Amino acid sequence: MAAPFAFGEALVLGLASGPACVASCGPVLVPSLLAERSGLRVNSRYLSAFLATRLLGYLLFAAVAWEVGALVALPSSTRSLIFAVVHVLLAVVLLRYAWSVGRVCDHVCTSTELVTIGGAGKHRIPGAAVLGFHTGVSLCPPFVAAGVRAAELANVLAAVLFFAVFFVGTSVWFVPFAGLGWVRRNEAVTTVARMAMALIALYYLYAGLATLIRKSTYGY
Amino acid sequence: MRTLMAKLGYTGAGLTLCAAVLAPFVLYGMFTKGFASLGLHVDEMYSGGPKVRTVQAAGYTIDIHRQVSPHMWQREKPFVQLDWKPVSALPSHVSDLVDIDGDGQPDVRVTFDVPKDSKAPLRVNVDSLNPRYEAMWNVGRKKFSDLIVRVDDAILVRVPVAQ
Amino acid sequence: MATKVLPAREPRSVGRSLLLTLPIALWSALMFAPIFRGASRPDRIAEAATGIFMVVLFFMMMRTWSTYRWRRWFFVAMGLLFPVGFIHTVMVMRGTMGIPIEEMIAGRTPFCFLPIPLLILPAALTKTLVFPGSILPNGGMSGGGMAAMAALWLGITIVVGKGWCSYACFFGGIEEGMASIPAKAKVRKIDPRWRYGPWAVLLAMVLLSLALFEPAYCMWLCPFKAVSEYVAARSTVGMIQNGIFIVLFAGLVIALPLLTKKRTQCAFFCPFGAFQSLFNKTSVFDVKIDKTRCTPCVLCQKSCPTMALTDESIAKGETLMSCMKCGACVDACPKDAAVWHIRGTEVAVKPERARLMFLYAAWAMAVMFGGRIIAGGLATILHLFV
Repeated sequence: MAAPFAFGEALVLGLASGPACVASCGPVLVPSLLAERSGLRVNSRYLSAFLATRLLGYLLFAAVAWEVGALVALPSSTRSLIFAVVHVLLAVVLLRYAWSVGRVCDHVCTSTELVTIGGAGKHRIPGAAVLGFHTGVSLCPPFVAAGVRAAELANVLAAVLFFAVFFVGTSVWFVPFAGLGWVRRNEAVTTVARMAMALIALYYLYAGLATLIRKSTYGY
Repeated sequence: MRTLMAKLGYTGAGLTLCAAVLAPFVLYGMFTKGFASLGLHVDEMYSGGPKVRTVQAAGYTIDIHRQVSPHMWQREKPFVQLDWKPVSALPSHVSDLVDIDGDGQPDVRVTFDVPKDSKAPLRVNVDSLNPRYEAMWNVGRKKFSDLIVRVDDAILVRVPVAQ
Repeated sequence: MATKVLPAREPRSVGRSLLLTLPIALWSALMFAPIFRGASRPDRIAEAATGIFMVVLFFMMMRTWSTYRWRRWFFVAMGLLFPVGFIHTVMVMRGTMGIPIEEMIAGRTPFCFLPIPLLILPAALTKTLVFPGSILPNGGMSGGGMAAMAALWLGITIVVGKGWCSYACFFGGIEEGMASIPAKAKVRKIDPRWRYGPWAVLLAMVLLSLALFEPAYCMWLCPFKAVSEYVAARSTVGMIQNGIFIVLFAGLVIALPLLTKKRTQCAFFCPFGAFQSLFNKTSVFDVKIDKTRCTPCVLCQKSCPTMALTDESIAKGETLMSCMKCGACVDACPKDAAVWHIRGTEVAVKPERARLMFLYAAWAMAVMFGGRIIAGGLATILHLFV
C-alpha cells in the first residue's frame, strides 16, 4: 500500500524539517509569546491557536495549489512573490500587534485570554491566529519540499492529509515554546517583546518590499 | 555564615585577580585552542564548502568543491565552487571543460580572462552542458552563489545549480 | 554627571599612591616591553607613551580616591584611536573601508566581539559560524582569527563581567567622550522604558540571525560600521545598509550623547551590552548602595551614563543588571553610600579594598587589551611625523 508509506514519509519529513520551521517561525512566535501573560496554560493556548491557524494556512494552500496543479509547476519567482506579499502582511500585522499588546495589557487582561489586535474593540482578532496563519502560508523551503512530494499523490484529500501529517511532525519541535509561559512577565519582558516585534516587523517589511520591486536583498 | 560568605567572596575576588594575571599568558592560549577545537566551521555560503576533487591542467589545477545548499531563508541559489590555482602560472585566457559531478562527462565550460593586474575586475562565462548547472554570461561579483573573484593567486568561480 | 572629586577626604599620600600603583607599573612594563624588540621608533614611542599614560591614570585613581574620570580618559582615548589604527590598516591592506566579497569568501573579515551572541544558537544547533571570517589566522584582515577574539572576550569577561563596557569595548569611548562635552544635559527626561532597548535588539537579532543564517546586527544595525568597515555599497541595498549605519551612528553615538550626557547607544541599543549584563550575575564585583547612609539625593541616578540606577533599585541598595562598573555613581555620591563591593561581603565594610581589587583586575585587562589599541592608534599617527 502506498498511502501509509506516504504518510510515514510525511511524518519523517516533518520531524526533519522541524528545526528549520522553528528557526523561521521563531522571530514571530517568541516575541509574541513573551508579550502574552505568563502561565503555562495561557501560553499553551496561544501556541495552540498559532499552530492551528498555521495548519489552516498549510492546508488551504495545499488544497488550492493541488487543484491548480501548481505544487510542482510553481516557478521560484512566483514563489518569491507570494513569500514577499506574505512578509509585507506579516510585518503590518506584527507592527499592529506590537502596538495593541501595549495598550491592552497595561493592566491585567481579565476580559480576554488571547491578546487581540485592535484592542478590546468590536473587530478584535486573536493575534496568535493571524500570525499563525501568515507563517503557514509563508512558503518556507520545508513547506515547498513537502508540497512537491504531496503533489505526487493521487488526489487532493491525500495531499491535504500529507500536509497535515507533515505539520504534526514539525509541530513536535514547537512544544517546548510553551515553556516560555514560565518566564515571569513584567513591564521589562513585555516591552522587550514589543520592541523586538517592531524590529522584526521592519525587517520583514524591507525583505517583502525588496522582493516585490525585484531588488536583491543583499548589499553586494 | 556571614564570615563564610565573606571568605568566599574574597576568595572569588582573589581568583579573579589571578585570572587577570593569567589571562594573557595562559587563559588566552587555552581558550583559543578550546574554541578552535570545538569542530565549528564557517558557513559554507562564505567558505565555498570542502574540496572534493582536484583536476590537473597544464600549469594549474582546478579544485572542485562540494555543492553548497543555502540555508532555509537565505536567498542564494545552491552553487558549486571551482578554484583555478596556478602551479606555475595561470594562462592569460582560460577556457576549460569541467566535470563537476565526476561522472566522466563535462558539465560546464568555464571561460574567463586572467588580467595581469590583480586588481582588475574579472568576468566569467559559463556554458552549461548539463541542465543541472546554470549558465552565466559576463558575470562579475553578483552574489555569493554566482561570481568570479580572485583570492591571492587563485581564481574562484561559483556556478549556480538549477533549482 | 558629577566628575569632581568630592571634598569628603584628602588625597591619598603620594608615597602610598605610588606604592599602590607599582603592580600596575610592573604589569604595563611586562605588557609593553616585548614590543620594543625590533619595533620602529614611532612604535616604541607609542608603546612607551601608552604605558606611561595607563600608569599615570591609575596613579591618579589611587591619589584622588575616584575612578570614573580617570577611567574615562583611557576609554575615550581607546574609542578615538581604535578607528585611527583600524581604518589605516584596512586602507593599507585593502585600499577601501568597504569589505569586498572576495575578502568574505577568503575568510578575511576581521571579527569583532559584537556578533558573538548572534553566533551562539546557529553554532550550537548546526556547528556553523555564520560570519565570513576564519577560526584561525588566515592572513589579510583576519587578524588572530575568530577563536582568538572569542578567547579574549571570554578571558576579559571572566574578570570584569559587564565591566567590558567600561574597560574593553573599543567603540564605547566615542559616545562617552561626546557625553562628557556639554556641561549640562539639554534633554533630561528620558522614558526609562528605553533601557529595555538593548534586550529587544538582542532578542530580535538572535532570532533573525538564526532564521537568516547571517550576523543580522552586522548586516543591518551596527552603528560602528561608520568608523570601521562595512559591506561595500555597490547596489541600492548596500546604500540602504550604509545609510542605516550612518544615521544610527550620528544619532546614537554623536547627537544623543551630546543632548542627554548619557551613553545612549550603550544604554538603549547595544545588544552585546545586554548579553554582557548576564555576566554581571556571575561577576564577583559589583556596586552597592549603603541604605544606612543614602539620603536619597539620587545624584548617583543622575550621574549614571546608562540609567542603571532607579528609585526601586536604590531603595533595594543595588544597581540594575546593566551596571557597567564605570564608577560614576560611586564618585558622585556625597555620602559615600554608593560603594564598590565584593559579593558575599558586607556592604560598605572596607569598600576601598573592594575597589582596589576590582581596579587591579580591570586595569590589568585595560592595559593588556585597550592599551595595545591605544598604542596602535598612536603609532599610526606618529608614523606620519616621525
